[in-house]
Amino acid sequence: MNKEIKQLSGEKFWRSLDQLADKPEFRRFLEAEFPASVDEEKHGVSRRNFLSIMGASLAMAGLVGCRRPVEKIIPYVSQPESIIPGVPNYYATTFPFGRTPLGVIVESHEGRPTKIEGNKAHPSTRGKSNGFMQAEILNLYDPDRTTEVLHQGEKSDKAKFTTFWNEQLAELREVSGKGLAVVIEPHCSPTLANLGQDLKRLMPEGLYIGYNPISDDAARAGSDEQPTHQFDKAKIILSLDSDFLGTEDDNLISTRQFADGRRVLNPGDEMSRLYVVEPDFSITGVSSDHRLRLPRSAVEKFTVALISELENQGLGSFEIAMGSHNFDRKWLSTLASDLIKNKGASLVVAGRTQPAEVHVLVKKLNSALDNVGKTVAYLPISPSETDIDFTNSLHELDEAVKANDITTLVMLGGNPVYNAPTNLNFQKLLKKVTHTVHLSDRLNETSQLVDWHLPRAHWLESWGDAATSDGVKSVIQPLIEPLFGGIGDVEFLNLIVTGENRPGHEIVRESWQKFITGDFETGWRKVLHDGLLASDQSTLRDTQQTANFNRAERTISYPDAVEISAHKLELIFQVSPTLYDGRYANNGWMQELPHPVSKLTWDNAAAVSTTTANDLGVTNGDVVALTHNGKSLELPIWIVPGLADNMISLELGYGQKSSGRVANNVGVNAYAMRTDENCYALSGVTLTKTGNTYPLASTQDHGSMEGRPIVRQATRDHYVAHPAFAQEMAEHPPLRGIYPEHDYSKGYQWGMAIDLSSCTGCNSCTVACQSENNISVVGKEQVANGREMHWIRMDRYFTGETENPTAVFQPVTCQHCENAPCEQVCPVQATSHDKEGLNVMTYNRCVGTRYCSNNCPYKVRRFNYFNFVKDTPEIVKLAMNPDVTMRSRGVMEKCTFCTQRINQARISAKKSDVPIADGQVTTACEQACPADAITFGNINDPDSRVVKVKKQNRNYELLAELNTKPRNSYLAIIKNRHPELEDYIPSLTS
Amino acid sequence: MSSSTEHIEEPLIKGNPSFGKITSVISRISEKKAPRMWYVAISITSSLAALMFVSIGYLVWEGVGIWGLNNPVGWGWAIINFVFWVGIGHAGTLISAILFLLRQKWRTSINRFAEAMTLFAVMCALVFPGIHVGRIWIAYYMFPLPNQMDMWPNFRSPLLWDVFAVGTYFTVSLMFWYVGLIPDLATLRDRATTKLRKFVLGILAVGWHGGNRQWKHYELAYLILAGISTPLVLSVHSVVSTDFAVSIVPGWHTTIFPPYFVAGAIFSGFAMVMTLSIIVRKLFALEDYITLRHLERINKIMLLTGMMVGYAYSIEFFIAWYSGNIYEAFTFINRATGPYAWGYWIMITCNVVVPQMFWFKKLRNSIPVMFVISILINVGMWFERFVIVVSSLANDFLPAAWDYYSPTFWDISTFVGSFGLFLTLFLLFIRFAPIIAMSEVKGVLPEADPHHHAQDHDHKEPNDGH
Repeated sequence: MNKEIKQLSGEKFWRSLDQLADKPEFRRFLEAEFPASVDEEKHGVSRRNFLSIMGASLAMAGLVGCRRPVEKIIPYVSQPESIIPGVPNYYATTFPFGRTPLGVIVESHEGRPTKIEGNKAHPSTRGKSNGFMQAEILNLYDPDRTTEVLHQGEKSDKAKFTTFWNEQLAELREVSGKGLAVVIEPHCSPTLANLGQDLKRLMPEGLYIGYNPISDDAARAGSDEQPTHQFDKAKIILSLDSDFLGTEDDNLISTRQFADGRRVLNPGDEMSRLYVVEPDFSITGVSSDHRLRLPRSAVEKFTVALISELENQGLGSFEIAMGSHNFDRKWLSTLASDLIKNKGASLVVAGRTQPAEVHVLVKKLNSALDNVGKTVAYLPISPSETDIDFTNSLHELDEAVKANDITTLVMLGGNPVYNAPTNLNFQKLLKKVTHTVHLSDRLNETSQLVDWHLPRAHWLESWGDAATSDGVKSVIQPLIEPLFGGIGDVEFLNLIVTGENRPGHEIVRESWQKFITGDFETGWRKVLHDGLLASDQSTLRDTQQTANFNRAERTISYPDAVEISAHKLELIFQVSPTLYDGRYANNGWMQELPHPVSKLTWDNAAAVSTTTANDLGVTNGDVVALTHNGKSLELPIWIVPGLADNMISLELGYGQKSSGRVANNVGVNAYAMRTDENCYALSGVTLTKTGNTYPLASTQDHGSMEGRPIVRQATRDHYVAHPAFAQEMAEHPPLRGIYPEHDYSKGYQWGMAIDLSSCTGCNSCTVACQSENNISVVGKEQVANGREMHWIRMDRYFTGETENPTAVFQPVTCQHCENAPCEQVCPVQATSHDKEGLNVMTYNRCVGTRYCSNNCPYKVRRFNYFNFVKDTPEIVKLAMNPDVTMRSRGVMEKCTFCTQRINQARISAKKSDVPIADGQVTTACEQACPADAITFGNINDPDSRVVKVKKQNRNYELLAELNTKPRNSYLAIIKNRHPELEDYIPSLTS
Repeated sequence: MSSSTEHIEEPLIKGNPSFGKITSVISRISEKKAPRMWYVAISITSSLAALMFVSIGYLVWEGVGIWGLNNPVGWGWAIINFVFWVGIGHAGTLISAILFLLRQKWRTSINRFAEAMTLFAVMCALVFPGIHVGRIWIAYYMFPLPNQMDMWPNFRSPLLWDVFAVGTYFTVSLMFWYVGLIPDLATLRDRATTKLRKFVLGILAVGWHGGNRQWKHYELAYLILAGISTPLVLSVHSVVSTDFAVSIVPGWHTTIFPPYFVAGAIFSGFAMVMTLSIIVRKLFALEDYITLRHLERINKIMLLTGMMVGYAYSIEFFIAWYSGNIYEAFTFINRATGPYAWGYWIMITCNVVVPQMFWFKKLRNSIPVMFVISILINVGMWFERFVIVVSSLANDFLPAAWDYYSPTFWDISTFVGSFGLFLTLFLLFIRFAPIIAMSEVKGVLPEADPHHHAQDHDHKEPNDGH
C-alpha cells in the first residue's frame, strides 16, 4: 500500500496531513479499508481510479453508521472539474447485450458508477431497463475478475503478450493467416465488425468464427435477415415457444410494446390478444390470454397444423405436406380465424430455441398474413456477420483442429470449455492447438487451460460502440478506468488484427469518422452526450416491406411424431431468466433473484409438471439422474404446474466451477448434456430416482390465492359488463379507526399505482430496487429460511386447475398505509408517518422487536437477522448507493418509496423555487419497469399521472377491508379472452 | 356459606404437630447439610442454566438469525417461552393474594413456594423479551428514559404495556413474598448457630421480634399487598394477551384473549405448583404439611380452568365462523388441519381432554396421576402459545408470503436452559429459605383457633366434608 501511494501517477490528492506524512496510522487505515484482496496492489493506481476509490471511502465513512470512528476529512484543494461530492453525474453509454445494444444512463458518484438506467432518448430502452442491465453494476465490481495477464499460468504483462503476438502475426501474415482461428461472441459493434472485416481481408486463410451457447441463429435461417417485431401494432399475437417478454434478447423493447398494445383505460378499449404455445411456463405464457402447453418437439407440428387450418379457412396455399394430428381442433380453428380476421395486424413469433424450420414457417405465416412491414420487419444482418453461425461454428473449428489446420486460437470472451457441446470435447481440442489466447474477465474453465490469458474490461470501463438491428448507432464510453487493468474488446481485437496497442478511444473515434457528418468533434461530443447518433432514429423498420428467402430454402416436410412419455422424456434447455447463459452466475443479485414462475433461487432444477411428477413418483427436492446416450446428470426435481407433460425443463448457466465465489458449484451444469446436434432439447431421456434429496430455496411456498381477492382479474367482456368489478370483489363493514387520522390534504402526498394488467413479472423492478437501495444478498441458506430481503417482491399465484393452470403476478412493496398497522405496534416509534404520507423507518431507533413485521398484513418488512453486509468485499461496496443508509444487524427495513430520490427532487425544487413537478420523482421500480406498470407521484395533485391512473375503475387497494388505507393501489388484470375459448380447457394430445 | 349440618373437615395439617415441631421440621431443611440428591439436582439444573447463558451469549454475538425465525414468522420460541413462563408465574400471586383475601386457609402450606415459583418463573419470562430483540444493546429504548435524543417510547404499542405490566407484577410479587418471609426469617435467625448466618438473616429479618404491634402492622401490610396484587393477577396476562389481541393478525385479533389468557395462566401456574409440590413433599417428607387435601383442591382448580380454556378454544372457532371473516376462518381451520395441526391436537389433548380425568375422585387423589397430568398440562399450555404465535403468523393474509417455521438448536437450548435457571433458583430457594410459611401454618392449626373443640385429637378418620 505504502509503495502504491508513492507510485501514484499524476497529480496527488491527499486527504489529511497523516497521509502526506505517510504515517503508520494512515497506512493501517488504508490497509483496513482496502485490503490486498482488492488486487489494487498489483497495479499502479491511476488518478481516476484513485479518485473513485477515495470518493467511495469518503462516502462510506458516512454510510457505515455511527459506530465507526469519525475521521477528519478535508475538501479537495483544487476540485476536479464537474465532481461535486454528494452530487452524482450522469453519463450516457450503451450496454452491449450480445446483438442487442441497450442505451443507458449511468449514475456516477465521485467517479464510481453506482446505478444504471435506461436512456430515454435511445429507442432500445426509452428510459427503461431489464434485470440484466440493472445487475451489470455488480458485475463491474465483481471481486473475482482477473487482474493480470497470465502466460502458461505465470504472471506476465501486456507488453510481453504484444511482443509474442507480433512474432506470431509476422508468421501468420506470410501464410495469409493459415493456421489462425479467431472466435468471437455475438456483438453489435460496428468497430468490431470493421476489425472482423480487416481480419478476413488480411488473413483470408484464417478462420473467423463466432460462438455463444445461446444465439438467435435459428431466426436468421433461410435468409440474411432477422426479424424485429412491433407487438404494439399487433392485435393478435401468436408466440410459438417464444418468451419474448422474458428471455429473448429483445425482451425490454418487446415488453414495452406488448404493454402498449394492451393498455386499457376504459372498459371496451382495444387490446391485443396473445396466444402462446410453449413447453415451459414462461412469463410470456403467464401474460397470455390463451395458452397451450405442448412439448417442444410438438411445436413444429403444431405450426404445420396451424398452416393447414389456415389453408382450410381460405388463406392461400403454403404447399407444405400435412399429416394427421390430434391438436385441439377448437383451439386451433379459433386461433386461425382470429389470425385471418386480423390480417395485417397479427404477428407470429417463434422462440430462438425452436429449430430453423419453425422460423422459416413463421416467416411464411407472417408473409401470408400480410404482417411483414406492419407488425414485423425482416432487417438485414450486418455483412461482416452473415456467415457466422454462432451455434454451430465450433463444429467447424473442431474439424479444422482435427485436420491439424489450426496452430493459433484466439478467443474473445466466452467459456467454451464450460459450455461448448460435449461431443466436441473442447478441453481436448484446446490441447491440440499450439498457441491459445483468451480474453476473459475471469479465470474460468477455459482461461485456465490457455497459453495466454488476458483480463477483459467491463463495458463500463472501456470504449466501444453499438448499433441496433434497425441501425441506431451509439458509443460505449467508459465511466471508470479499468478497475482490474482489463483490456477492452475493441483494443483486443485491434491488437490481434494489427499487432498494435492502440487506445480504444482512438480506434472507436476512427471508425466513427464515417458516421458523423459535419464537424467531427462537435458531432462526437453530441453522440457522447446524447448516447446515440441522433440522425439514426431509423425508419428502417418501416421500409422493409417484404421478407426474403434468399438462402437455400429448407425443405419442410411434415415432422415425424416424436414419441415422448414418462419413460422417454423430453429435456429442454432453457435460457435462465436470471443468469442468462451463465454470465450472471457470479452476480449475487441475479442468483438470489427468484425465477419468475418457479420462484427458485440459487439453483437450477429439473422442472416437471404436476402430472409428470405424479407419473414419475417424484416430489420437490428429490434427486434424480437424467440419462441420455450414456451421459448422465444428477439434479433435484422442482414441480412447476403448467409445464407440458412428459418433459423436463432445465436452465442453463449453472454449475460453474471456476467463475467466482458466488457462482462456483451453484446448481448443475446443463451444458454437460448438450451436443451440437440439438443443443436446445434432447428426446428419449430417462429419469431414475437416486433416493437422495437436495434442499432447494424458493421464495414462495404457496401458490394459491385461497379464494381471496388478492389479484383481481376479469375478461374484457366481463369488464365491459361490470366496470367496477375490482372494487366489488371485497365486501366489508364501514371502516372506522380508533385513533384520529393525520391531515393529508396539504403539500405533497406520495402514492403509487401498479397496473397488474401491464405487469409481466419480469423482475426488473426487484433488481432495480436492490441496486438503488443497497439491499443485501443473503445467500441460499437464508433464502431457504425465508429471510430474503427484496423490498419489492413478485408474488406469483396459480389459478385454475393444477394440471392446466394460468398464473398471475403481483409486485408487492410497502403499501405505505395511512393507517399503518406497523406504526401502531412499534414500542420505540422507529417506524412512523411523515407529513407527506410516507411510512418511514428510523433505522437508528429500531431495536428489532419484529412486531411491525408481524402486524404487517402485506409482509413486506424485511428483518436483518444477521449482519448481512459484514462480508461484503471492499470493492463491492463501491457499487452501493451513497444516498441510502446501510442497515445493520437487528434492524427492520422495507420499501421507502425511494425517499432519497424524493429528497433530491425536493432540494433541487427548493433551489429553483418551484414545486416538484409531476414525474420529477420516479422510484427505482417505476423507472425500471419496461411495461410502465408502475406510476408514482403526488396524489394531492389532480393532474398528476398517478391520480389519473388511480381514477380508473380497475383501481383497488389490497386488503383495504383492514382499514389500512394503503397509498399504493393496484389495477385489476384484464384478459382479452376469445369468447369462444373463455374457460375452455384445451385437450393436450398431439 | 355455612350449612345447617355440622361440617367436619379433614385437618389442613396432618399429624397434629406442635408449634415447635413445625418450626424444627421446616427450619431444619435449610439448616442441615443438603441431601446428596440436592447436589445432584443442582449440578444438573445449573448446567442447563449455563446452557441458556451460552445460548444467549451466542445470540448476542451472532444475531437473532440463529433462531428459526423468518419473514412471516417474526416471533417464535422466545415469545412463546415468555408467555409460557409469565403464565406459570400466575399461580403464586393467585394463591397468595386472591386465596388470602378469600380466606382459603389451605393455601398456607403451598403459598410460600408458589410465590417463589412465581418470582422465578417471571424471572425466566423476563429473560426472553430482553433477548429476542434484534439489537439487545439498545433494548433500553423501550423504557421511558429522558434523553437528549428526544426519543420517547410509543405508548400505543402493547409491547410497552408489557414492560410496565410484567415489571410491576415482578416488583409487587417480590415485595409480597419478602414481606411474608419476614417472620420466618426471624425464626431462622433465632435458631442460627453461626455468626455469618445470624448476621445475614438478621439483616433480612429487619428486626422482627414477634411483638404484637409488629404482628398487627405486618398483617395489615400483608392485607394491603394482597389487595394490590389481586388486580395484577388479572392484569398481567391480560396485558400480555394484548400483544396479540391489539394486532390485526388473524388468530390474534380477538377480544376473548384477556380472560382466555388469564384462565390459561392460572391453569398452567397451578399445574406447575402441583408438579413442584409433589416433588418437594416427597423429597423433604412434608406429607403432613402438604396433604392430599391440598393437592386435590389444586386439581379441582385445574379442572375448572382447563374447561375455561377449552371453552375459549371452541368459542374462537365459533366466532371465526360467525364473523364471516375469511382470513379468520381460514386461520382456525388451518390450525386444526394445516401444517401445525400436530401442535394444535397436542394442545387440545393436554389442555382439554386430559384434565377431564379429575372428575373422578380416585384419579384426583392419585399422586402419580396428578403428577403426570400436571406435566401434560404444561406441555399443552406451551403448545397453546406455540399454536397461537406461530400458526397465525405463518399463514396470514397473503399466501405468497407464507412460510413454515421450525426451531433451531438454539431455540431449544434457550428454552431448556430456562428450565435450568428456574429449577436452579428453586433449588437454592428450598435450600436457604423456609419453604413453608411456618407462621401461617401455625395459624391454621387447631391450637391457634381459640374456638376449637378438640375432636380431631385421636386421629379418627373424619367423614369427608365434601
